[in-house]
Amino acid sequence: MTAQAIPAYLRATLARSPRPRLRRDETGLLALVSAALLLGFVTLRTQEAMAAGHDELTLGDPTVPLVYLGAVWAVHLAFVLTARRSDQVLLPAVALLGGLGLLLATRLPRSLVLQRFGPVELGLGELQLLWLVIGLAVIAWLAITVRNDNWLRLYRYSWAGAGIALLLAVFLFGREVNGARLTLCVGPVCGQPSELLKVLLVVFLAGYLSENRGLLTTQRTRVGPLSLPPLPYLLPMLAMWAIALAVVIVQRDLGAALLLYSVFLAVLFAATARWSYVALGVLLFVVGSLVLYAVFPHVRTRIDIWLDPFADPLGAGYQTLRALYAFGRGGILGTGLGAGLPAAGGAPAIPAVHTDFAFTALAEETGYLGVAAIIGTYLVVLQRGLRIAARSADDFRALLAAGLTLTIGIQTAIIIGGNARLIPLTGITAPYLSYGGSSILASALAIGLLLAFSEREARR
Amino acid sequence: MDGFFVALWILRLAFLAVLFVFLYGVARVLVRDLRRAEREQRSELGRLVVVASEGDSPRPGAVFPLDVVTTIGRAASNTVVVDDQFASSEHAMLTFRGRAWYLEDLGSTNGTHVQGERIEAPVAIGFGDEFTVGRARLRLERART
Repeated sequence: MTAQAIPAYLRATLARSPRPRLRRDETGLLALVSAALLLGFVTLRTQEAMAAGHDELTLGDPTVPLVYLGAVWAVHLAFVLTARRSDQVLLPAVALLGGLGLLLATRLPRSLVLQRFGPVELGLGELQLLWLVIGLAVIAWLAITVRNDNWLRLYRYSWAGAGIALLLAVFLFGREVNGARLTLCVGPVCGQPSELLKVLLVVFLAGYLSENRGLLTTQRTRVGPLSLPPLPYLLPMLAMWAIALAVVIVQRDLGAALLLYSVFLAVLFAATARWSYVALGVLLFVVGSLVLYAVFPHVRTRIDIWLDPFADPLGAGYQTLRALYAFGRGGILGTGLGAGLPAAGGAPAIPAVHTDFAFTALAEETGYLGVAAIIGTYLVVLQRGLRIAARSADDFRALLAAGLTLTIGIQTAIIIGGNARLIPLTGITAPYLSYGGSSILASALAIGLLLAFSEREARR
Repeated sequence: MDGFFVALWILRLAFLAVLFVFLYGVARVLVRDLRRAEREQRSELGRLVVVASEGDSPRPGAVFPLDVVTTIGRAASNTVVVDDQFASSEHAMLTFRGRAWYLEDLGSTNGTHVQGERIEAPVAIGFGDEFTVGRARLRLERART
């Protein structure tokens, strides 16, 4: 094609766009992720074929893995073409976690989640694929277009207001599912606003704490042996505590409350580096927990199940016991993808296996080694996020990056700990592994912003 | 029959193995990254970025690495020279004490402003905060690491 054959407007665009810039680390890591996921799908489909009586190695219908990997590579290509200099490890790590979640979602019976959009009915696997592709698009869009974060910083009170409004909307119009009131439906699309709420709160906290950082070194209140934070820190602390309590009491959502409160304490510590504030926060937490335990039966049930799931093996403790058996069946190498029991006989052996117990199901099928790799990948995401935070030019971006990263980390720790009965089980999703549109979108927002920040630091 | 089971077994192990090859690849990138950061000598404690200014000295966008004590003003003896009619010859001072940066006005005629307010005593400022000396807007940033 000669130069004249290219239309003028296209030539102008090409001249303005930067020269593509290779991202070798990301390419190599994504190649490994693709290999792992394809091997996983072959294992799964072969296992399914064997159950149906055909002994042959097969990939079966390749649509699902190809669409997902296609989307991942498209994001990579977009980064290369726009000459991104951002972090090269985050995308492969997230792609691996999302891919493992997709493996699980395709493997479980599709009737666990069914949604109708006009004439099309989508099952669990297809919906998860859809949300993952949307999540990847959000990541690419944020990482490429966000140059300036003033819109986040300037409107911090508006963001906080929007978060509280979401919370109130759930209180008033929320739909009750499994005794917890946390789903909000607009038309055919339902979502869990608490997922978005945590991102909004981190934005607000980063703005608020970076603005008032100067007060930290100049003011201090002493009450006995505890050095109390100055009032501007104390007030939001009490407000957060109240919000978390309200979430527990009204929504009956222990997981979200625990997550919101721990993230708040972590960001507060990142901003001030003072253990006394954390100690005060933990004290408030203990007081709140004791009161809740004494007053609310659903909190007491959770603790009792955690302490002794065998007390009521077919009732309250059923889910937890099933999960423990699944861990046991997994052993070191796992039963193999598709060979576990998460869905024996069409019905899931563990209730809520696709959301709260995604980690357990993968533990059964990929064993100790698979789980170690999953936790390792989460740790990699944490390391990259905190490193981006440490390199940030200003406090707001540093706190925001740290807050978003710690949200993902703490959420993972809470649900994995709950799955393995290290702490009482609270129903939240494992970021990227679990089924759930809101959860995937919230995590995608966090990863997209982290990539945008690392781009800024690289160009400084 | 047996060959098929061996193949399936190998497939499962290969899947797990690739997961760990991926983690090994990530670890290599991380180690290289940390080594590179270690090689880059860190001499600055922070940096001062000129957001806006009238006149040529300093130019908007200029970056000054900061030492423990940095003086700002119109006189040539200052660390950061702000050549502006509205700046005093010895206008303001930035100091790093322990874990925080402090900004102090050195009795300038037109004052030093943080977030629109004239400062009277030394104030603690954080990374990302902007202040004005004369008509120049300056921003404190974290050092590159």
